[in-house]
Amino acid sequence: MTTEPLAGTESNGIDRRTLLKTVGGSALAVALAGCTELLEGEQESAADADVPDEPIESGLQTFTEGAPSVLGIQAEYGAETAVRRINENGGIAGREMNLDVVEEGGAYLTNYQQFVDEGKDVTFGPISSSGHAEMVPEIEAQEVINVSTDGTVTTLYEEDFPDVTYSFRFQNHDVMEALAAVNQAVEVLGADSIDTYAGINPNYAFGQDEMNLFSQGIEKLTGAEQVYSGFPDLGTSDMSTHITEINGEAPDVVFSSCWGGDATLLLEQGHANDMFDNTELLVGTVLYGSANDMEEDLVDGPIYSGSRNFYWGEPSTDRWSPAADLVDEVQSEYGVVPTAHFMSGYGAVTAWATAAEKAVSLLGRWPEQEELAMVLENHGFFTPAGYHTMGSDHQGYSNAHFGELTWSDEHDAAALQDVNVFAAKNVSPPPGEISSDWIGSW
Amino acid sequence: MLEHVLNGLYYGSILFMIASGMTIIFGVLGILNLAHGELYALGAFSAFSIIGFVAGQVAAPTGPVTAIVFGVVVLAGSLATAAVLLPVGGALEAAFIRPIYDRDEVYQLLLTYGLLLVLTDVMKFVWGPSPVDLGVFGGINEIPTTELVGIDYPSYNVFVILIGIAVFAWLVWFFDRTKTGRIVRATAINREMSTAIGISTDRMFTLVFAIGAFFAGFGGAMVSIGPGSASLGMGLDWLVLSFVVIVIGGLGSLNGAFVGSMLVGVSSRVVTPYYPQLELAVPFLLMVLVLLLKPEGLYGAWGEIQ
Repeated sequence: MTTEPLAGTESNGIDRRTLLKTVGGSALAVALAGCTELLEGEQESAADADVPDEPIESGLQTFTEGAPSVLGIQAEYGAETAVRRINENGGIAGREMNLDVVEEGGAYLTNYQQFVDEGKDVTFGPISSSGHAEMVPEIEAQEVINVSTDGTVTTLYEEDFPDVTYSFRFQNHDVMEALAAVNQAVEVLGADSIDTYAGINPNYAFGQDEMNLFSQGIEKLTGAEQVYSGFPDLGTSDMSTHITEINGEAPDVVFSSCWGGDATLLLEQGHANDMFDNTELLVGTVLYGSANDMEEDLVDGPIYSGSRNFYWGEPSTDRWSPAADLVDEVQSEYGVVPTAHFMSGYGAVTAWATAAEKAVSLLGRWPEQEELAMVLENHGFFTPAGYHTMGSDHQGYSNAHFGELTWSDEHDAAALQDVNVFAAKNVSPPPGEISSDWIGSW
Repeated sequence: MLEHVLNGLYYGSILFMIASGMTIIFGVLGILNLAHGELYALGAFSAFSIIGFVAGQVAAPTGPVTAIVFGVVVLAGSLATAAVLLPVGGALEAAFIRPIYDRDEVYQLLLTYGLLLVLTDVMKFVWGPSPVDLGVFGGINEIPTTELVGIDYPSYNVFVILIGIAVFAWLVWFFDRTKTGRIVRATAINREMSTAIGISTDRMFTLVFAIGAFFAGFGGAMVSIGPGSASLGMGLDWLVLSFVVIVIGGLGSLNGAFVGSMLVGVSSRVVTPYYPQLELAVPFLLMVLVLLLKPEGLYGAWGEIQ
């Protein structure tokens, strides 16, 4: 487990040349890392490359309305912010970038095909796990790169599509946040004190994947026994039955991957039914995704939440100015605190943009889709969240964050305290290995 | 088990408030209103604004007495919210539904589906695309109820159950005991005869549609007060479950809607802990069972309000 910031992520003490070298020598990469103040006077390395004049056309599909928009709109804000920063810093190898945003709905394939028909250079999204699984074969057939913002089911690249070319995913996959939750629970309670656990997870691929991985992990580390597992419908209006069961079983740990409105519903009904008096700990992988929708009284109790590959307060904003600047920009532009789903959009765009600029530097011209896909494999880059790599399995790898829910008067929103940062290698198998096999080998 | 039954009664009560409006509209007007779920959603969004405003006029609860005051204000706000749906429902009936009474049923479905889309866009325009949370749920639960008799159960759920029973009692009283209610029932049974004896069926139909919208809005307000949020698309699940309820109870039957709602609520909540994978399937299994054993529904009142 890594609880210290990654080396080189503090801006203090790093000069321009060192920073440029660290992030790959690209001014754009520095800008997207949130360090533009270090760029004054730098020459653009790809300035003489043979690239088209017309802007880059890109498309993002995300949930822009309804209950899932709690996550989807954050991803949209993130992608827009990255594109805005790209254009404010001279574009990608001199090319400006345009972003079209469409409602994801249930039209994943149609949206992607429409983007391709419109001649988009790259597409981003979706949020939905099942939508992402539907899209992968089409992405491979159409040969236009898609960097998914979410849709994080672990088996997607491990088992279902282990050999892809054009399909990538930026956000941490489920195993990372499920095992971060296991580690967090063990740290808070101690392995010897965890005898029983239960789960309330949304009834679809994501929720089942997360519960399965959490179960494997916590049973391996603590020998705990599962006493209840409920799967309410995604977007349900009532979880009281599951909470009643939790109260009856009084497990040491409750695990949940509920998100959006389901996350606030779980906390509301959990408090109303005294669930937090009947369990030692609730660990929720994406509860913090609803940070902007939580009331202050909801964060009371032994509630810990993951924040995927980005938590704006870790490293502390007084030590890490890129995150501080980002929070200010997002609050000013959109009036919200950025969550990990913001970074899903921001990072997906950044992954592709920095890889594109790297490809131009290498080739001296604008790359073909296949060439850009090759550069994206094993590509490393910075965002205000820190350092990320796109693995050879096309899965993004970043630190995983987990902390105790609290309240921030300054931002009038939920926050996390005592945040643990788990290095990717500690919560995810190496590319090419199956997560369940890897956990079984512990 | 007691708590699971109470959970089921709570869920069934909300379902009844929504399904009762739908069954009334079908029973009298013969209209299968696909936009009914959006009227419920409109109630939930309106509650966010109206109850949010009135609740903001009183201090947050600090003890039982202030909690009761807070609860009364919120309940008054929910009635005001539902009242907003009266003119909305009346206007929709007069402007859009009335011209298609004599047309084929497919026009009803197309029109009400169109209204569903329009209402969704209106809510998106007014309240934005993201969910909104009223945030009064915790305050309501400060009111002491079950703990007075030694049981620990959320006060909000208790109120919803009691309000569901009150709504059922009021509807039975209205249709059985009041002159207007009897006229509505007579109109449902024989429109021509009602017209012949001087009843304005247009006014009756507008009134009935408005009442249906009122209870959909009231159900929406109840959900908005509760732990959930108001969000676009929230009406769809309840619309489907309302269909299930009125098929189980018998289309147009108030008794059927009440019993059907409670059956769906309690059975799904009692079965879920033992067979979690059946949580979503229970209402539909129940419907299939009823259709096999009693195709006209438990109270067999197809097309008449009873």
